[in-house]
Amino acid sequence: MFDVVSFLISWLTLFGIYAILALCLNMEIGYTGMANFGLVAFFGIGAFITAYISISTFLSFYGYNYPVYSLDAIIAIGKVAGKTPWLNIAVFLLSLVLSFLVAGIAGYFISYPTLRVGPAFLGITILSFGEMLRVFMKHFEPTGGAYGILGIPHPFAWVSDPLIKNISYLTLTLMILAGVFIYFELLANSPYGRVLKSVREDEVASLCMGKPVPKIKAELLFVASGISGVAGALYAFYLGSVTPDMFITTVTFEVWSMVILGGRGNNFGALLGTSIFTLLNRATSILNFMFPGSLIDPNYIRWMITGALIVIVLIYKPKGILPEKPIKTEAWKIFEVRRGGRIGLKLIRTKVIVIALIIVRYIKMAIYWLIGREII
Amino acid sequence: MDPILRVQGVSKRFGGVEALKDVSLEVKRGSITGLIGPNGSGKSTLFNVITGFYKPDSGSVYFEGKRIDGLNPNEIYNMGIARTFQIPRLFGSLTILENMMLSPKGQRGESLVKAPFKKVWLDEEIQLANEVKNLLKEFDMDGLYKVYASELSGGHIKMVETSKGILGRAKLILLDEPTAGVHYAVGRNLFEYINYLRKSRDLTFFIVEHRIELLFDYVDYVYVLHMGRVLSQGTPDEVASDPKVIEAYIGGA
Repeated sequence: MFDVVSFLISWLTLFGIYAILALCLNMEIGYTGMANFGLVAFFGIGAFITAYISISTFLSFYGYNYPVYSLDAIIAIGKVAGKTPWLNIAVFLLSLVLSFLVAGIAGYFISYPTLRVGPAFLGITILSFGEMLRVFMKHFEPTGGAYGILGIPHPFAWVSDPLIKNISYLTLTLMILAGVFIYFELLANSPYGRVLKSVREDEVASLCMGKPVPKIKAELLFVASGISGVAGALYAFYLGSVTPDMFITTVTFEVWSMVILGGRGNNFGALLGTSIFTLLNRATSILNFMFPGSLIDPNYIRWMITGALIVIVLIYKPKGILPEKPIKTEAWKIFEVRRGGRIGLKLIRTKVIVIALIIVRYIKMAIYWLIGREII
Repeated sequence: MDPILRVQGVSKRFGGVEALKDVSLEVKRGSITGLIGPNGSGKSTLFNVITGFYKPDSGSVYFEGKRIDGLNPNEIYNMGIARTFQIPRLFGSLTILENMMLSPKGQRGESLVKAPFKKVWLDEEIQLANEVKNLLKEFDMDGLYKVYASELSGGHIKMVETSKGILGRAKLILLDEPTAGVHYAVGRNLFEYINYLRKSRDLTFFIVEHRIELLFDYVDYVYVLHMGRVLSQGTPDEVASDPKVIEAYIGGA
């Protein structure tokens, strides 16, 4: 039986996590023109930091003395994960902050030697950094080597109903996504966003107009890598386990295809691309589950569809489904002859709010219809 | 008048090639100074040294009495030297408005921390946009603000490139072959425009140009570079009649 609710939850959670990654990549490649081929490294750093911090905090809080990757630790965590809600939340928040800082600082330092040369060098350096890190982690004993770390305590482990637990986590993920999206939209539609685009277009000319290009690139890499780390933290809590082989370069290129498909330099495009690819991801895994042992593994069909989609979109819409637009500071208004004025704007705002309220109402009704009870 | 820019004994070597050998020159405040010379004589290298892209091997560059060689290009721009390139380098996928709005230096909204807070930079942004509008209006180009720079005609590109420096409050503007690739009449217009800008806004121009017939109608003083050395200098008439210059251009080498 096909379970719509859990499908929606798993799709949207995956969407939330990948959308954060896609937004970060969009800031880097779409706005600033930094070809980050090693996005997965920062994603992985965030996930491993989270796994290590959360399990070791829980173990030391309850006085266990096992290594974080041991079977004893998994069993112990299983016993105590739901006992102290405040600790779950505190560990969750701490992991997010630490993931942000460590991944951000890694991004800053890894790219530092390459900021003064072209984008290709940056891309290759980060790509190889990610691969080296993965191979290193496979042989690094304190985080469990190739087996990774299992049994990460879920932030809502104390909620007994798994449906509510998953919905809460989904809500949390989407809230973080919304925060990241709003932050990036504000950043992009400001004079800073304009400077980022100028760096993408022509670094030398940008430098000639007084913009400190290496500094701009370094600080943007810090922020974007840090937020990728936060996505990694969310991913680790969602799956409950991390292994080095989850962070292969394929993940990076999956995010790249989301950004390319959706539209470079457009945050809405990144969201659209992500939703298409994560839907494809979930759909093919369900097919895999429903038709086991079929001639062609649906997982491979997914890659074929991905490739075909990119080729088709690049032929018909070379700039992506939602192409880039000029930034929205108020500057252009100076040039427009005033018409309509403020009243028109207010009317539009009211309309948007009313439509949003109606949509929320329908979503509530749909959820009620799907699971048969009130949750919001 | 005092020199706004002073280059003293600058040498620059690329491997075995000596691009500049002990070049010394001065650009007077409020003048249009020309720099001519055959291909490969070191004109662009000198521009790159002045704007901080190359560090000179020896010698020094002073701008308004302050030593600027060794600074980064962005620092030099912030001191008041703007430049253009031989091949125009506008930001193709940005509109003309966005291109020009990038020029003003030290904008509040150009920092990662302040950018998300619109209140901090909105007033400044509006004020700058008004400035851009007035500047574009002066040359009947304010209708073009929405056009992408990659779709602009050659003449307009040159105009935008030249006037961008004004928004950055530049005192000295270096132009690298402003009339390359445009029609003679357009080139003359551009020089009229440069002359007008100099007078109306107290600017100094330092211009590399191959179209000597155009340049000599407008410049106050000319330096001639040849094989990395200053071969000759003086008013256009003096330089035009200098036998060394004629030899370098027509016979010689």
